[in-house]
Order: sequence, then C-alpha cells, then structure tokens
Amino acid sequence: MKTQLKSSLNAGITFGIVSLFLYLIGFTTTASQIIQNLLKLKPASTVLGMDSLTFSFALFIGLIGLWAGVNQARSQKGQPFGTVLLSAVLTGLVHGLIVALAAYITGSLNASGVKMNTYLSQLLPASVKLFLFNQTPVLGALSQLAFLTLTALVGAAVTYGLMVSNVFGKLADAWRSMWKQVNAVPAIAKFRASPYFSYVMYSLLLLVMVFVPLRAGQYWNYTLGTVGIYVLLGLGLNIVVGLAGLLNLGYVAFFAIGAYTVALLTSPAPHGLVWNFWLVLPLGILAATLVGVLLVVPVLRMRGDYLAIVTLGFGEIIRILSKSDALTWLTGGPKGVNNVGGPVLFGWVFDDVSYLYLIFLSVLLAIFVTRRLQNSRVGRAWESMREDETVSRAMGINILKHKVLAFAIGAAFAGLGGVLFAARNQFTGPEDHNMMVSINVLSAVIVGGMGSIPGVIAGAFVLKGLPEILRELENYRVLAFATLLVVMMLVRPAGILPASRRKFEHENAPGNEGSKQ
Amino acid sequence: MAMLEVSNIHTYYGNIHALKGISLTVEKGEIVTLIGANGAGKTTTLSSICGLTKPRQGTISLEGRDLTSVKPHDIVTMGVSMVPEGRGIFARLTVAENLDLGAYSRTPNRQEAEKDLEEIFSLFPRLKERYSQVAGTLSGGEQQMLAMGRAIMAHPRLLLLDEPSMGLAPILVQSIFDIIKSINQRGTTILLVEQNALMALSIASRGYVLQSGQIVLSDTAHNLRENEMVQRAYLGAG
Repeated sequence: MKTQLKSSLNAGITFGIVSLFLYLIGFTTTASQIIQNLLKLKPASTVLGMDSLTFSFALFIGLIGLWAGVNQARSQKGQPFGTVLLSAVLTGLVHGLIVALAAYITGSLNASGVKMNTYLSQLLPASVKLFLFNQTPVLGALSQLAFLTLTALVGAAVTYGLMVSNVFGKLADAWRSMWKQVNAVPAIAKFRASPYFSYVMYSLLLLVMVFVPLRAGQYWNYTLGTVGIYVLLGLGLNIVVGLAGLLNLGYVAFFAIGAYTVALLTSPAPHGLVWNFWLVLPLGILAATLVGVLLVVPVLRMRGDYLAIVTLGFGEIIRILSKSDALTWLTGGPKGVNNVGGPVLFGWVFDDVSYLYLIFLSVLLAIFVTRRLQNSRVGRAWESMREDETVSRAMGINILKHKVLAFAIGAAFAGLGGVLFAARNQFTGPEDHNMMVSINVLSAVIVGGMGSIPGVIAGAFVLKGLPEILRELENYRVLAFATLLVVMMLVRPAGILPASRRKFEHENAPGNEGSKQ
Repeated sequence: MAMLEVSNIHTYYGNIHALKGISLTVEKGEIVTLIGANGAGKTTTLSSICGLTKPRQGTISLEGRDLTSVKPHDIVTMGVSMVPEGRGIFARLTVAENLDLGAYSRTPNRQEAEKDLEEIFSLFPRLKERYSQVAGTLSGGEQQMLAMGRAIMAHPRLLLLDEPSMGLAPILVQSIFDIIKSINQRGTTILLVEQNALMALSIASRGYVLQSGQIVLSDTAHNLRENEMVQRAYLGAG
C-alpha cells in the first residue's frame, strides 16, 4: 500500500510539473489553437457552452489528465480495481493541485494587473485566462482540480477495463495470425523471399518519386530536395560510420568543399569563372574525394572518440577558412558566393521539378553504389574493420587502403550533395556549413538505423522533413522535434528501419530481456 | 630450410621491452609449442611474426624470405595465418561471413570456396549447423572452432595458435587439441602458444619455454615434460 501511495504521489508530481512547464512556456495556448484548427472550429463558435478555444484547451489538458490516469493504471497492473482507481484519483488530485495552485496564483496576479510576460515572455494575459477556462481565479483553479482528477479517474477506469479484457493483446494476436496466414500462402512467401520483392518496392518508390514533384508545389519540392540531399549525405556517412566504423564528426567539410567548388567555378564573382555546371559537378566530387583521402593521413592511427574529435576540428577548420578575411579573395569571405550557376541541358534551364529529379537521380545512384559496395569484398572488409581492426589485419586486410576508400567514397557522396545544394540555392556561404550539418546527418543515420539504406532515407525524412511538417507548432518546433527524437530512440533504440544485424544486436544485448514484456 | 626462423628479435611497446632477443625455429611439418607464464611474451612473439607489432631488432624469415619489413596483410598472403588470443571472431557477423573473411587474402572462386568449406565442416561439424548464425551467439568452444576454421580458410602453410584452450571446458580442450593434431597431419606447420603446458607438450614435437621476454629453455617435448624446472613451474608438480 505504501509503495502504491508513493508511486501515485510521484506520478502526480511529475505530471504536475510537466503541465506547469507547458503552461509557463505558453504551449497550452498554442496547443489549444492547433486543436481548434485541426477540428476546424470557428473562433466565434461555442461548443458545450464554452467558446471554441476554451473547449480546445479543455481537450488538451483533459488528454494530459487522461494520460496520468492511464499511466497509473498501467503501473498498478494486477492490482484490484479499487486500488487502481484510488491511486489514479490520488495522482489526479496531486496533478490538479499543482496546476490549480499555479492557475490561482497567476490568475490573481493577472487580475491585479501584474504583467507576467515581462518575466516569462509567453505568459500572456490571454494565456492565463485560457488556463482558468475563462473563469475567476478561484473558480478556474477549482475546475482545473476537479477536471484533472476526473480525467485521471476515467483514464484509469478505461485502461483497467482494456487491460482486464486484454483487447489490445487479442487484436495484436489476431493481426499476427492474419499476417502469418498471408505469408503462409506459398506464392506470397516465395515472392517476398525473392529478389523481385525489393525490385517491386523500389519501382513503387520510383513512381512516387516521379509523380510527387509534379504535384507538391515549390515549397514542398524545396523541402523534398533538402531531404534528398540529406539522404545523399546520410548514405555517405553511413559508409564511413555504419560500415567502416570510423566516427566522422567533420563530415560537413566535404559537403562544404563540393558546394564551394561549384560556387567558385560557376559564379561571376569573385573569380569570374562562369563554367558549365555539368563540368563542375564531377570536379566538385573529385575535390571532396581528394580532401577525404588527405584527411586519412593524420587520422590513420586513430579510432573511436579520438577520431571523432580530430574530424570535428577538421570540419570547423574548413568553415573558418571559408569565412576568414585572409581568404576572402578566394572564397568570398563571410558574405559567401552569390549567383551560383545551375544546370542547363540543351538550353533548358532546370526548374524546381526537374532539379528535384536530378537530386532523386543522384540518390538512386548513391543507393546503387552503396548496395554494390556493401555486398562486395570491400564492404566485408569494412565490416570486419569495424568489428576488430587488429584481427582484420591478421586476416590479411589492408587497413590503410580500406580506410582511405571509406573516407574517399563517403567524401564523394558529400561532395555531390554539396554541389547540388549550392547550385540549387544559387548561393553558398560559411553558415551553410556549420557543425550542425554534421550532427544532423549523423542523427539521421542513427535515428534511421545505422548500416541500413531504408533507415538512412527514413532518418533524413524525420530530421529534415518533420521540422517542416511541424512548422505549425511555430516556436515549439524544436522542442517538439527534440522530444520526438528522444521518444523515438526509446521506442526503437536500433533506429526506425534498422539493418538486420543491428536489430539483432539490440534485441540480444544483455539487460534488454527484462524490458520486453 | 626452416619454415620459420626467428633470430634475436627485440620488440617494444613504447618503452616497454617486451621481447629481449627471442630466437626460435620451426621446421616444416612440425608442431612447436611456446609455453610460459603470463606476461612472458608469448603473444608478442606471435604478433611479431604476423607483423602486427614490428620488432625493432632482429630478423624473421619464412622459408628463407625476410618478413621483417613486410606488411601484415602481405604476410597472410605469404602463408602465415593466426588464431588470435581470445578467439577474436567478428561477433556481429555470421559464421559464413567470418569464414569468408578468413579467405580474404586468397580470393577463391566459387568451387574452391565450396571445397574449402567442405574441409572446414569435416573438421568442425558444428560450424555447419551454425553456418548462418551470428558468431556472437556461439558458445566459447564453437567460437574457438570458428576462429580456427577461419584461419584455415587462408590455406596457411604456417598456422599460429594463441592459447586455443583458454576458457574452455576440459572435455572441449581435448577435442580442440585433437583437431590441432589433425590439421597438422594434413600438412600445416603449427606454432602453438599455450598456458596449458601439459596439453601442449603432449602434441608438440618440440617446445620453447619463455620467461620475461627471453627463451630460457628449448628441447624436445618429451624432454621438457621430464624437466624438473618445467614440472615445477608449469606442470604443477610439487
């Protein structure tokens, strides 16, 4: 009983703090507006006697209250119904008390004319009023308390019912057995196992890639292009980190070299070399590759964390050089390079749709190269190097050669990405190439699932596509995005679409057995 | 000409003088064992031969060809293969991939590779059952078998074994040593490093005793087993 009491109190305090935090940063108001928009409620209309924004807010805070109840019921699994309800009520009361207290204090301060948004910029009078359901401080605080307790109770009761009847377990079983039956059909099983399966999947993807740009409009084409370039970067880094196991945090350097090569050779300023894009494209890749090879010289003997630090420094060096006053004559300095030339084919200037096709084509090429490499002698050598460098030397693998190859191919992909990036934006400058690019690409690889090509694509979508989709959250975009990343790594620690090897590794890691239910 | 001739090598780890003038020879077709306590320099001797830690002084030659300045991956191509201490299998790769990597220095064609695998499976039937399994899930004994099988895939003329009995159940140790003997009978010369001196001396024809980076004794296996000092220090005789 004592432990249950403690767990209820703890949960209540946690939920209270979370709600309080969301209130103080003004997220409660934004969320209410989003809900209002999603439900297509007119601002002037009333629902259940409340104006539509207050109703949306009640929905939002009610969901948090329900969640507290659900959470409590789940943590008290196996306890009798009365205990579950009691503990949920307690959680709801503590949660409600914290929220009500905050509502009352801010409400009365607001009523007495204190401008709280001088201290907390998002705590606007309208926000405070909304938090009190547009009531007086006392009434609003009491309604919060009652509402949160009630929702916790409802949440716990419903969850208890679901758990006892095991609805979800049965549904999952039904789904699994249906899936099994489908797979048991010999034709389907054979098809799924055959290489044609992946060909069909890829051609479906290809169809989507051909038709989406025609329909998506300029803004989404731009976003998709950025995602495509990140897929390219991710595939390159996947070779270096995922296959060869060399943690490179300065990957942006190669991206910058590709971008600057195309910029400096096709822009009228600062050099006046207005070369053809198609000529510069391979030059950019070549330049990045060469630098990749050169970088191996200092880092040859380094592994793991040490390598990460050195490459991190290298990435910054390239950015700082491109920005430096001493090199302004060469790189255009902090202002960057404008009017970068784009691709023209037989007099046809590429517009957003055809440029997106160009990016997709590059991605397909990169996927093809990666797949071929992965299953080749070189790929096998990389993987053994990642596992154990000394032993792979004893197997007769030339470590130097394969490190150079990994860095060079990774750099080539990044160089191509840089060329496409600068030519599309018709501009490149030092701030396009800051450390966050490296971190984002690495995150894309890790979130997607290291060593897996579909994983890298998924990761690039999550990292570069999601922030655009989340634009509606405005100021809270980064917060929501960061939360999503944390949740994603907790739910799928090996990545969204992990390579079978890594999936295996995570499932069999010591200590993971306990967490599986 | 001797299969392996190590003469007066000195190997260092930074400032630590690990090998202080080791000389030994292994004749073609022999099993020679290197016994000694922890830190005597047994593993360092093997990794010096493989080129993983280059000696600062002295020479190593394989059938008369100098190995001292040859890169480790070229030494494998020349016919020296090692089973590293603690097995050193690639835990996240499958048994099949581990075996493939063993043949990395040879680039066999499909038929050759299949023939090789057949041979490995005749020595280690367990590996056939585990063929598509991830190597990290094998038992200790199976991992040792995999490490040995992988080394044999390179078709070595000289096989270096570093403590193959380490961490294995006694019953498995016996079968591992039987396999070592049969590998030798198929024509592979073997240099065996062991702490289990009794076992090692029972299958070897000659042996060297290492102490703090120096060879203190070298004789036929039979004589070493009878030797009072060896018995006291390594064979557990009072």
